[in-house]
Amino acid sequence: MLLALVLLPIVAGSAMLLSRGEDRRTYRGIGVAVALATLAIAVAARSEDWSVPWLRAPFVANFHLGIGTLAFWLIALLALCTACAVLAVDSARPRALVGQLLLLEGAMLGLFVSRDLLLFALFYDLMLVPVFFVLLERSEHPRDAWRYIIYNFAGGLLLLLATAAFGVLHGTTDVIGSAGNAIAGAWAPWIFWGFAIAFLVKTPAFPLHTWMPNTYASLPAPVAAVVGAVQSKAGLYGFFVVALALMPQEVARYSGALIVIGSISLLYGAVAALVQTDAKRVVAYSSLSHLGLIVIAIATQQPLALAGAALYIVAHGLFTAALFIGLGYVEEREETRSLARLRGIGAKNPRLAGALTIAGLAMLGLPGLAGFVGELVIIAGIVQSGNIAVAVVAVISVVLASAYVLRLFQGIVNGPVVHDLPVRRDLTWREGIAIAPLLLALLYLGVNPHAVLAGGAVAIPRAPLSSTSGVPTP
Amino acid sequence: MTLPFTHVDWAAIAPLEVLAATGLLVLLLDLVLRPFAPRALSLGIAILGTIVTAVTIGQQYGTNVAAFNGGYIVGNFSVLFGAVVLLGTLGALALMGRGGGDRESAGTIALLLWSACGALLLTGASTTMTVFLGIELLSLSLYCLCGLADRASAREAALKYLLLSSTASAVLLFGMALLFGASGSVSLAALATPAMVGNPLFWMGSGFFLVGIAFKLSLVPFHAWAPDVYEGAPLPITAFMTVVTKAATIAIFARFAYAALPSGASQVLLLPVWIVAGISMIVGNVGMLAQHDLKRLLGYSGIAQVGYILAALAGTTRLGLRYAFFYLAVYAVMNLGAFAVAAALSTGDAEEGARLETYRGLGARRPLLAAAMTFFLLALAGLPPTAGFLGKILILAATAGSGYLWLAALLLAGTAISLYAYAKVIMAMYRPDHRVRAAEPVRSAPLPWVSLALCLVATVALTFYPLLPTGLLPLVK
Repeated sequence: MLLALVLLPIVAGSAMLLSRGEDRRTYRGIGVAVALATLAIAVAARSEDWSVPWLRAPFVANFHLGIGTLAFWLIALLALCTACAVLAVDSARPRALVGQLLLLEGAMLGLFVSRDLLLFALFYDLMLVPVFFVLLERSEHPRDAWRYIIYNFAGGLLLLLATAAFGVLHGTTDVIGSAGNAIAGAWAPWIFWGFAIAFLVKTPAFPLHTWMPNTYASLPAPVAAVVGAVQSKAGLYGFFVVALALMPQEVARYSGALIVIGSISLLYGAVAALVQTDAKRVVAYSSLSHLGLIVIAIATQQPLALAGAALYIVAHGLFTAALFIGLGYVEEREETRSLARLRGIGAKNPRLAGALTIAGLAMLGLPGLAGFVGELVIIAGIVQSGNIAVAVVAVISVVLASAYVLRLFQGIVNGPVVHDLPVRRDLTWREGIAIAPLLLALLYLGVNPHAVLAGGAVAIPRAPLSSTSGVPTP
Repeated sequence: MTLPFTHVDWAAIAPLEVLAATGLLVLLLDLVLRPFAPRALSLGIAILGTIVTAVTIGQQYGTNVAAFNGGYIVGNFSVLFGAVVLLGTLGALALMGRGGGDRESAGTIALLLWSACGALLLTGASTTMTVFLGIELLSLSLYCLCGLADRASAREAALKYLLLSSTASAVLLFGMALLFGASGSVSLAALATPAMVGNPLFWMGSGFFLVGIAFKLSLVPFHAWAPDVYEGAPLPITAFMTVVTKAATIAIFARFAYAALPSGASQVLLLPVWIVAGISMIVGNVGMLAQHDLKRLLGYSGIAQVGYILAALAGTTRLGLRYAFFYLAVYAVMNLGAFAVAAALSTGDAEEGARLETYRGLGARRPLLAAAMTFFLLALAGLPPTAGFLGKILILAATAGSGYLWLAALLLAGTAISLYAYAKVIMAMYRPDHRVRAAEPVRSAPLPWVSLALCLVATVALTFYPLLPTGLLPLVK
């Protein structure tokens, strides 16, 4: 089942890429069906565990698949976002786009169900490929594709080196899902930073973020939605299952550095979002800011902050996907993303304006929507850990968030109708259905955050490490 | 006069005999049947003969024979490296089956097979004499093959290869003479005695020997000939050189490094080789960036890939040898795959598939070929889900495990650079390009497609079922 979960979208996506024809309905239909099927399989296979030997030397590695708690929520988020994104595809060449979206889903599903670090690293690199190809075909300038692939591939190589070193020292890489200090001694800091930098590139965090705004701006909206919502979480997921679970000592030792990185991302992202003129770039920089908050939460290792981080990971995914899809609709209608040009969507397309507003309010942390609970719990956790100064920084960033979200919506939604912009029809049923589930999920998690929190999404499984070569923990 | 050899000796080199006989047969049949039979017949016989050779060599797996007074040693080492040699030969023969290419006659095929004989000899050679015999047999045929195409670059390639390779041979021979002077024996095993550590002749001899090998492996700073020669030679010959010559030379290097060096000298003597391997990774990958010819690009890529393989051997550990072999096999498959795509895009001497401009907009014109090329290039860069990825991580583990962290770091840096170079080709294929006219479809022959498909399957399969041979050591008796 777990294998089918990973292979289904990959096979379907590959078949789609090799097929001929450009019928939007067919490709969308198949894509949505596949994405929903993966969701169903994930729910059904939640407690499964599947393992086949892979390498015996120089370290033990297995094809070990299983679904952890946090991974389950990420998989659900991924399947939902993919379904919505596929439904939102409205390109003249839908075949490649839907196909690559499915490949991307497959690679990321593989990442989240991997219980082996080497397998994790494999999927971590694999998920770059579909995005790179979409960028190659659709971005205005090849530079964007380059930046994306070079940054992320370099991160992937670091992950690979860290994984190899981890495997050689620890004896096995079949460790995801277990906990304890797997590595100790002189190598531990190097390995930790290898992993950490790889994850920070992907998240991204300051100063490794420079690939991100261009990538998000150049990607077609549906792909940007999945990349912004879920691929950015791969690094954070890595922090949870690798750094926090296997090297808590190192996280504690370098928490100061991580907090500084997170705080700079938080503030820099918020300030940069305030001055962008491209609507998609506003969301991109806001993402830098929000994910910085999660990096801080991880660095504190406070259970409360981590619980909040898990919830916020899901919430951020939902509102980012909704915003990118919504802004994609705006771009399709108005043929521009420039905040200087856009005005008055509210009057022309009230349904679209409403959807955008809900997603935006979730982003600025309005109570009742999921983003608020996540931020609140994280900040409470930071306060609990005693880092009052950091908590103050976090609160400042929340204030800045209101400013840039309001600026975005003042610009797009309100104001008089601009006459030289085309007037197009409001959201169709298909477009509405592509964005509604995300908004409903935001609302649901906003009033019932326990669905994620009480599931103990962050309760790192306390299974003992499966190898004896590691240093035992007290 | 009776020869002092028994049937055991002759049985040990049975694969060579089969291969050499196939070459003769191809040549003779062509003489008799030329008016009636098409070139496909020669090619078919050659392929069949190579497969029979592969079977013969497969039967030697697990045996351990020192034939010809220890001049040729059959063991898992020779069998496995021999398998890669035959793989490369088959790949090159398959590329000869592309459309057109009348120059690649029966004589060409025979020369190619005899060249492969020399490579096979190298995989088992364990005296300096057999090493030299193998190297010359391998190279002499290649000198002719390089100049096959009717263009200036081919003649240049042939001459360059002849001159530089002869120089390398001379250096190698000088080193061998000094080594003979040091040990009083042609046997490589005779060098592995502690007495050698204090012998200056041994140090000088080994140094010249290694320089000769580095020339043949086109390691930096002896690499400049490789891209020029690869560019000039016909497509199948380039494919052959990138795989077979490398495999055979690496086999010799491994045997020398693992079995012929006294433990006191090994680390000191080989350190320059590891440094050169590290520099090769960087120079090879940087060199790829500016290329407009696929064969040149893959030539530079080969310089770097040899660096990776040598990195696995750093520290001369048992594991390192296994991973080096694994990566060599993977490199052979993905490299031959890339060449097969180029061949499928080519007709005879024109070799459209070797020019990178052919790949502009290929994604729209020939989606299958473009996808296959993308796959092989990503594999060469080391991205999953290809065996190149697994090979890289194994090399990393071996290199880091034996303490050569700086080499592992160079490997990563080189890999990052290489991705840019490979991705440039991929970008040319998939970037929508309006300057490209809808080119007339080239009709491709079936043989490169078969080769392409097999390479594709192998590249994926090796990721999930890594073929990590055991029992490669001992290398000498």
